[in-house]
Amino acid sequence: MTVGAQVRQTVAALKGSRATLRLYAEHSRHEETRSAYRQAFDIVSAVLSDLEKRLQEIEHEEPQYKGN
Amino acid sequence: MPAWLAVILRSAALFVVVFVLVRLLGKKHPAQMTPVHFVNYTVIAVIAGLLAAGVSQPIYGLLALAVWLLLPYLAEHLSLRSKAVHDVVSGKETILIKQGKIMEENLKSARMSAEELLKELRAKNVFSVADVEFAVLETSGEVSVLLKADKKPITPHDVEWQVAPQTEPQTVILSGNILHDQLTELGLTREWLETQLQQAGVTPDNVFLGQVNAAGELYLDLFDDALKSAMPTVRQSLYAMLEKAQADLYTFALETQNSQVRFMYEKNATRLQQVLDILRPHLLR
Repeated sequence: MTVGAQVRQTVAALKGSRATLRLYAEHSRHEETRSAYRQAFDIVSAVLSDLEKRLQEIEHEEPQYKGN
Repeated sequence: MPAWLAVILRSAALFVVVFVLVRLLGKKHPAQMTPVHFVNYTVIAVIAGLLAAGVSQPIYGLLALAVWLLLPYLAEHLSLRSKAVHDVVSGKETILIKQGKIMEENLKSARMSAEELLKELRAKNVFSVADVEFAVLETSGEVSVLLKADKKPITPHDVEWQVAPQTEPQTVILSGNILHDQLTELGLTREWLETQLQQAGVTPDNVFLGQVNAAGELYLDLFDDALKSAMPTVRQSLYAMLEKAQADLYTFALETQNSQVRFMYEKNATRLQQVLDILRPHLLR
């Protein structure tokens, strides 16, 4: 597996986790729990934006692997 | 009117009257009754019994009943207002052990023997008097015990653990019936419940009990105990997924030659560590 594909996989997994975090933030009845999930959601979003930027760079460098 | 019919009618009427009046006297578990309460209830019972059997004149009996219900009601009411009245009505608690030392004088005035004290302590799972900091004989006759600080059970606070706040779970299915009030209280719908049941592969009428916990997970107990229903583990797997993503980032950081990219990966791995720290109490405990 190329680095690009690996990074893409991690990005997908993180996106799934982020979606679950949002769901939990909506479903929690406690304000404290809710804000913890929101905070986690925000940090994961920041990580994701960095990784997606890197993914674009990789695809630019190795265009033959694009979309694999 | 034949005598037997009179007895039945009187008893039924008294049953209703006593039932209502005892309710008015308040909610007290028999085990928490003070001796005064006990006497009071006994007298009411005896008067009601005499009345029902036709031993006493109905008017006199009812008058006595009224007095024995009214006075305690008044006493309770006043004792809510004033501490002095409260002490007279329900008595005062007696300190039996203070700063780890047994108060022999108080023990004597409470007419309690050392054996009895030991027995009460054992009932509280305290077998060594040396572990007790403070013990009180409550007015109900029960002994309340405060253990020495180093003998108390450890709480999350003691070990500085973070724990997520927990609200009480709500029962949403009982004996195959979906309880709609509880569902709406949680902000959930019947459709949500049906999807959850479908995922678990059961129909509502197969469920003996279903509870939703604070995290919104559904626990099911089925009529058919041979069927296995998985405990919800979504939260644990979310944590594992984030941990795996973090490990991936460290791997990427090791594999790359570009120092700028390595720095980016390491920074984000640290961020994910932060996320894991925040979520740990909520997802794992």
